[in-house]
Amino acid sequence: MTSVLTVLFNGVAYGMLLFIMSVGLSVTMGMMNFVNLAQASFSMLGGYTMVAVTQKFGIPFLASLPIAFVVVGIASLVLERLVFRHFYGTDDLTQVLLTIGLIFMSIAIVTYFWGSTYQQVSVPAWLTGQQEVLGFTLERYRMFLVVVGGALAFVLVFGLERTRFGAIVRACVDNNRVARACGLNTQLVFALTFAIGGGLAGLAGALSANLLGIDPNFPLRYLVYLLIVVSVGGMGTISGTLIAGLVLGVGDVACKYYVPQIGGFVIYAITVAVMLWRPHGLLGRRA
Amino acid sequence: MRTLTLSLTAAGLVLGLATHANAQDSIKVGVLVGYSGISSLSGQQTDAAIKLFQKRYGEAPGGKKIELIRRDTTGPNPEVAKRLVQEVVTRDKARILIGPDFTPNTLAAAPIVTEAKIPTMVIGAATTGIIEKSPYFTRTFFATPQQCKPLAPYAVKNNWKRVYVMVADFAPGHDCEKYYISTLTEAGGTVVGNVRIPLSNPEFSAYMQRIKDSKPDALFIFMPLGEPSIGALRAVNDSGLKASGVKILAVGDTTDETYVDAVGDAALGTITTGIYSTQHDSAMNKEFVKDFEALNGKSPRIGWTAIAIWDAFRLAYDGLEAQSGSSFDPDKFMAFVHGRSFESPRGPITIDKATGDIIQNIYIRRTDKIDGVLQNVEIATLPNEGFK
Repeated sequence: MTSVLTVLFNGVAYGMLLFIMSVGLSVTMGMMNFVNLAQASFSMLGGYTMVAVTQKFGIPFLASLPIAFVVVGIASLVLERLVFRHFYGTDDLTQVLLTIGLIFMSIAIVTYFWGSTYQQVSVPAWLTGQQEVLGFTLERYRMFLVVVGGALAFVLVFGLERTRFGAIVRACVDNNRVARACGLNTQLVFALTFAIGGGLAGLAGALSANLLGIDPNFPLRYLVYLLIVVSVGGMGTISGTLIAGLVLGVGDVACKYYVPQIGGFVIYAITVAVMLWRPHGLLGRRA
Repeated sequence: MRTLTLSLTAAGLVLGLATHANAQDSIKVGVLVGYSGISSLSGQQTDAAIKLFQKRYGEAPGGKKIELIRRDTTGPNPEVAKRLVQEVVTRDKARILIGPDFTPNTLAAAPIVTEAKIPTMVIGAATTGIIEKSPYFTRTFFATPQQCKPLAPYAVKNNWKRVYVMVADFAPGHDCEKYYISTLTEAGGTVVGNVRIPLSNPEFSAYMQRIKDSKPDALFIFMPLGEPSIGALRAVNDSGLKASGVKILAVGDTTDETYVDAVGDAALGTITTGIYSTQHDSAMNKEFVKDFEALNGKSPRIGWTAIAIWDAFRLAYDGLEAQSGSSFDPDKFMAFVHGRSFESPRGPITIDKATGDIIQNIYIRRTDKIDGVLQNVEIATLPNEGFK
């Protein structure tokens, strides 16, 4: 029984990690209908920002998280104004090619400044090691991830999805001309949403660096997980991304524990099954 | 107009002759390693090692000026490696090759270098038996059994008889698993469980739970360089497996100096096998480390690629010195290399007379903190380990 619950907890923690990693992509791809694979690069940038501010300036880990959010948010805003906004109307393939190109550029840029080695990531002592909770020995950092992920989901669902701003974003995407005719500043709405998506990716990079490591190859290594979670969850829904993260996380950890021979394969099997069953994802809006 | 053409032709002829004359006393050496992407670190290590080697020993061994031709293999991509080897050999006329790195690349190079008679130093591929694929292959790296076998008798000797075996799920991992398990059983130990972990695996907690359930004395880990190694060691630490008293044994790649700092204190106490540690206690190594850091800086730290390249150049330079004054003969070169023993910063090494593969000391090391830096400290030496 203990092991079942420990596995469940670890699965939920991994699911939260997947949710945190993909929610930025979910915002830009789902709400704005823009396929921005470079979200993975924004995550990497967030990780490097966290490492830089904690090590160079001695800022504590917790304080570095909002800094990563803001820095990457601003960086993505600049990129949105310079590059992305010219591609809002284009087809998916153009966007995929553009953003994958940006990933390669980001890898080269990061290698130039930080070198090709892995960065040293250190979190405060109270987040390392384990803690007895109700008779279970749980990893502290994982508990932290569950709390942060839960809070993030709450804030995003009730602060972004179910608000006037969320409705405005959807209106701008679904019918840009009518939205403009109604007096909405679509440019501003897109820029803001994009910055929020980028900032979330940056936050994710800072939060995940402790578990996933941070090096120039980060975006390519984890991009596929981001895409899986967003597709399984469904476009344009933050709660869908959360559910997808949890289903995949728990499924992955449980299968790796009970049938390790095929454990690594299960996350892909679930993805294919969900896609066959519901092509728009678990909670996806029909296009 | 005509005079101009004539003089141009004449100038061209003279230039042509000059290049030809130079070609007599220069030799092209192809260096094929990963300079980009996931394996760019090996390119960096390669260049750093070459820079120091040439600074120390000059650029013209035996009177032949070395012309380096660097090519990026981009990682384990046999079709790319094959094309590069072909180009470097047929078009650029390289006479000696260092690399290509990785086993699939090395295998792809074998038929070409055999036909063209190009002595080739294997510097980044560890699979057993690949050196026999060409009479022109020799290896200055290591062979998988050298890394994977020694920790089996070592565990039994220390009375850690129940061992859990965890390897990465790809060909080298399967190889290592086979060598470790058979050696462990022979030595009287027991495998209490084994698991193969996908190469792309950000989540280790389920595996850690399984390992805990089987209550082993020790855990043996084989993970490739980089993020899988970092992830595995961190998981072993964070899950409390190490704190529960399970000994952590691993191949040396897992605590490679180039990224052990990213693992952090989670690496402490790991017992590994290795061919080279910057901590190796010899006058030659101390000087090597000092000069290397003075020339290339302290970061990235010196890893195994650097040492493999260093010894490949040692062989190439010695072989060329031996042919000083005559034109390059690949067969004489290989005859010279085979059976050769010399001291390297890693310790004494011998190139096997029959196969050209490497025989070297294997060191059992423990990851410790020395002056605040994680180091692989050699705690036992197994002299002259073979490659089978």
